[in-house]
Amino acid sequence: MTISHTLDMILNLEVFAFVGLMFWLYFKDFNGKAGKGSKDDGSDRN
Amino acid sequence: MFKNPLLLLALAITGAIALWGLVDTAGLSTMAARLVGLQFTSRAWFIMLTVSFMLIVSAWLALSPYGRIKLGSDDEEPEFSTVSWLSMLFAAGMGVGLLYWGTAEPLTHFLMISEYEDERRSAGLALFVTNFHWGLHAWAIYALTGLVIAYFGFRRGCPSLLSAPILKVFGQGRWFKAIGWLSDLMAIVAIAIGLGGSVAMGVFQVKEGVEALFGLTPGGGGLTMVIFAVLCLSYLLPLTMDLSRGMAVLSNTAMIIAGGLMIFILLAGPTYYLMGGIVQAAGEYLGGALVQGFRTFTFMDENVGSWFQSWTLTYMVWWLAWAPFVGVFIARISRGRTIREFLCGVILVPTAFSILWFGVFGGVGFYGLLNDGVPYLEVLQENVSGMTFFVLQAFPLHQLTIAAVVVAAFLFIVTSVVSAAFVLSMFSTGGDLNPRAKVRLTWGVILGALGLVMILSGSIDAVKSIIALGALPFVFIVILLVVCLLKDLKAQGRPK
Repeated sequence: MTISHTLDMILNLEVFAFVGLMFWLYFKDFNGKAGKGSKDDGSDRN
Repeated sequence: MFKNPLLLLALAITGAIALWGLVDTAGLSTMAARLVGLQFTSRAWFIMLTVSFMLIVSAWLALSPYGRIKLGSDDEEPEFSTVSWLSMLFAAGMGVGLLYWGTAEPLTHFLMISEYEDERRSAGLALFVTNFHWGLHAWAIYALTGLVIAYFGFRRGCPSLLSAPILKVFGQGRWFKAIGWLSDLMAIVAIAIGLGGSVAMGVFQVKEGVEALFGLTPGGGGLTMVIFAVLCLSYLLPLTMDLSRGMAVLSNTAMIIAGGLMIFILLAGPTYYLMGGIVQAAGEYLGGALVQGFRTFTFMDENVGSWFQSWTLTYMVWWLAWAPFVGVFIARISRGRTIREFLCGVILVPTAFSILWFGVFGGVGFYGLLNDGVPYLEVLQENVSGMTFFVLQAFPLHQLTIAAVVVAAFLFIVTSVVSAAFVLSMFSTGGDLNPRAKVRLTWGVILGALGLVMILSGSIDAVKSIIALGALPFVFIVILLVVCLLKDLKAQGRPK
C-alpha cells in the first residue's frame, strides 16, 4: 500500500466517521437537553 | 481584548498565516496547493454530496410545513419591504467576483471544453458550468447557513455565533462546548482568508482598469502597491466609527453601477444574441443543475480532473468559507420573514441575476470570439485580470465604463472588508453586536495583511489554493449546523 493510498484511506475514513456521527447526533435524544425549552412560538427570542 | 482566548488564538492563526506568506509567499502557495490537492482528490465526492444535500434540504424546507415558520415571533412583520429586501440580496450576491469573472470565466471553461466538444456546443456548456458555479448550489450554502443564524437568533433567542445553535440543541456538555468553540474559530479563519483572496482579486482588477484607463504599461508592481495602500486607508477609517448606514450607501452605489453596466452592454451589444444566449443558458441550467451537483468527473482524464478541482471544487469551498459572513448579513435583513420566503428569496433571486450577468458578459465574449474572431482567448491566457476591460474597450464610451468598473470594484472591496471586520470582531468577542474599535481595527489590519500575501503570491491560482485551504475544515461545521437546525425543527414539531 502506497503512502498516497493510505492518506486517501484515512481522509475518507474521517468522512465516514463524521457522517456516522451526524446521524447519531440527529437521532440521539440528549435526555431532555435537545429540543427542550419553550415551545417554538418565538417567545424565547431576545 | 487580550483576555479573550478565542480572539487571541484566531488572531495568532491568521496572523501567522499572513506572516508566513509575507516571508515565504512561494512556500505558502506550494504548501496550500499540495494540501488542497490531496483533500480534493480524496474528498471531491463528499464536497459535491454536501452542496447537493444543502440544496435538497433547502428545497424540502421551503416546500414543507416548516416553511411557514417565521424567523422571529409569530406576529412579527418583516423589517424591510420585499423590494428593499430583494435589492439588498442583490447587493450581497453582487461582488467583485462577478466583475472579475463576467467574461473571463465562461471563456476559460470554453477553452477546456472545446478540446472535447464542438466549438458552438462548447459555448453553451461553458455558460452552463459558469451558472452552476454561481447559481442555486452556491446560494443554498449561503441560505442554509443564514437560516441557521436567523432561526436560532430571532426565534430561539441565541447570540449570532456559530457555536450558539450547537449549544442550544446539544446542551452545554464539555464536548459540545469544545466543538462550538472550534466552530467559531474555524469560521473566523475561513472568513479572514476568504476575504484576503477577494481583496487580492479586487486589487488585481482595479490595477488593470487603471492601466487601461490611463494607457499605462502593464505589469508595474508599484501601481499594485499604491492601489493596495489607498484601499487600506479607505477601509481603516470607517472601522474607527459606526458607518453602517454609509457602508450600505456605498454598497448600493456599487450595485447600481454594476447593474447599469450590465444593461448598457446588453443594449449596446448584440441584444438578440445575448438574450437568446440567456434564455438558452437558463433553460439548460434549470434542466441540468441537480445532476451537475452530483458530477465528480471520476471517469474523465487528468486534464478534466484538474479543471474540476481548480474550478468547481474551489468555488464550492469558497462559498462555504464565505457562508458565515454572508449568512450573518442575510440573516440580519430577514427578520420577520417566513422560512419559505427566506429560502426562495435568497436562493432564487441572486441565481436569476447571475444567469443574466454571465449571459450578458459571457455572451459578449462568445459573440466576439465565434463571429468576429476577436482574440479573446489569447488575452485570457495572457492576462485574466484585464479581460473585463478588454471587452469593454470594444464598446462606445469605454473610458466611462472602465472607470465605472474600477469604482465599483473598489467600492465592493471596501464595503466587504469593513463588513467582514465587523463580523469577525463580533464572532471573536462572544457575539458582541458592538465590538470595540480596537478589535475592529485589528481585524482590518489582519485582513489587509492576508490580502497583501495573496497579492504577493502574484497568481489567481495561488489565491484560490490558499482560500480553499482555509475553507476546507468548514465543510464539516456547516453540516453540523444544518443537523442542529433539522433536529431543533423536529423537536419543536410541525407548525399547525
